[in-house]
Amino acid sequence: MKFKDYYETLGVPRGATQDDIKRAYRKRARKYHPDVSKEPDAEARFKELGEAYAVLKDAEKRVAYDQMGSEWKAGQDFQPPPGWDAGFEFSGRGDGTDQSDFFEALFGRHARGGSQSGRHGRGQDHHAKVLIDLEDAYRGAQRSIFLRLPELDGQGHVAMRERRLDVSIPKGIHAGQHLRLAGQGEPGFGDGPPGDLYLEIGFNPHAQFRVDGRDVFLDLPLAPWEAALGCSVTAPTPEGSVHLTIPAESAAGRQLRLKGRGIPGNPPGDLYAVLTIVLPPAVGEAEKDAYRALAKAFDFNPRAEMKG
Amino acid sequence: MSKADMQLARGPVVEEEIQLTLMELCQACGAAEEHVIAWVYEGVLEPLGDGPQKWHFTGQSLRRTRVALRLTRDLEVNPPGIALALDLLDEIAALQAQLQRAGMRCRGK
Repeated sequence: MKFKDYYETLGVPRGATQDDIKRAYRKRARKYHPDVSKEPDAEARFKELGEAYAVLKDAEKRVAYDQMGSEWKAGQDFQPPPGWDAGFEFSGRGDGTDQSDFFEALFGRHARGGSQSGRHGRGQDHHAKVLIDLEDAYRGAQRSIFLRLPELDGQGHVAMRERRLDVSIPKGIHAGQHLRLAGQGEPGFGDGPPGDLYLEIGFNPHAQFRVDGRDVFLDLPLAPWEAALGCSVTAPTPEGSVHLTIPAESAAGRQLRLKGRGIPGNPPGDLYAVLTIVLPPAVGEAEKDAYRALAKAFDFNPRAEMKG
Repeated sequence: MSKADMQLARGPVVEEEIQLTLMELCQACGAAEEHVIAWVYEGVLEPLGDGPQKWHFTGQSLRRTRVALRLTRDLEVNPPGIALALDLLDEIAALQAQLQRAGMRCRGK
């Protein structure tokens, strides 16, 4: 287990006041909050911040943490000294799933928050995320997910248990949507029914296609003469390739819409082929001559509209 | 592998096939009713029906409520702040979608 320097995480000195700690946490939390942050590692950073703040904002936990001394460095191998927590009893609630080993070794693991009271024995609803391929949204698919559930062991401790769930991914689903899987959430209390599992769908990034809702976009490269004269090309789609007729005088950026070829649904999305024009490199003499012939054949100034 | 393990879990697509009552939405998100009611009065969520007991929320409300809850819990944003944050997040998402259509990727996305 590695030591975690909670002061370093929040960027405050060890002598920081509670107000300093709160201010530092807020500032960083806004920066790394997964709902608003564009930082690639926002989620991990935010968890670290939350854990550091949970300890340092709580007077009792902070004193206990400080008691281990200031000699520890972040990332150093660490075991809590025996009896280090004598005289403390931590009653704060934690999420039970997001804490680091380090946090758990110091403060123990708490069962999920106290929001179970008044729920009449029904288990809580849970949330999970699964990534699928774009092609899966066209055809439907089957995915196995592994869920970690906190469970009480014989001694009343909370242990994590892994559970496999095979899920049918319906055709037509797209990123950001959720499946509701009845009864797959937290087990009920006593005779209470289990909660539901909400499964958020995300798409794996695709080398060729981009997705917006149900609409799918594809960049289709053309040679200049293909764009100028029109042509017939074969283009890939998530359901296999199609023949496309490119009209003459197509400009780069033109979007050809294949109606209903996006993600299936009611109504289905559309597939857009976005034309790009690729200039062949003028390497050999013959190629250079071809460009020179073009220059001669056209009275063309691409900067005619520019002023000055 | 037992038969139970072989069973496929199936369920409706929340955004298309489901409407949620206030209680169901709270249960689904782990949110307190008074929070959700405050967000409705701020315009963060727009349920159909007269009064909390008859409200029906669209499936899209699930995602909005989850974001509202996290911002409230993690950053102590109040309901008017939640309304503003969600409007801005919607705007960012729309701009990102436009970039995405144009083939440009945003940092971190």
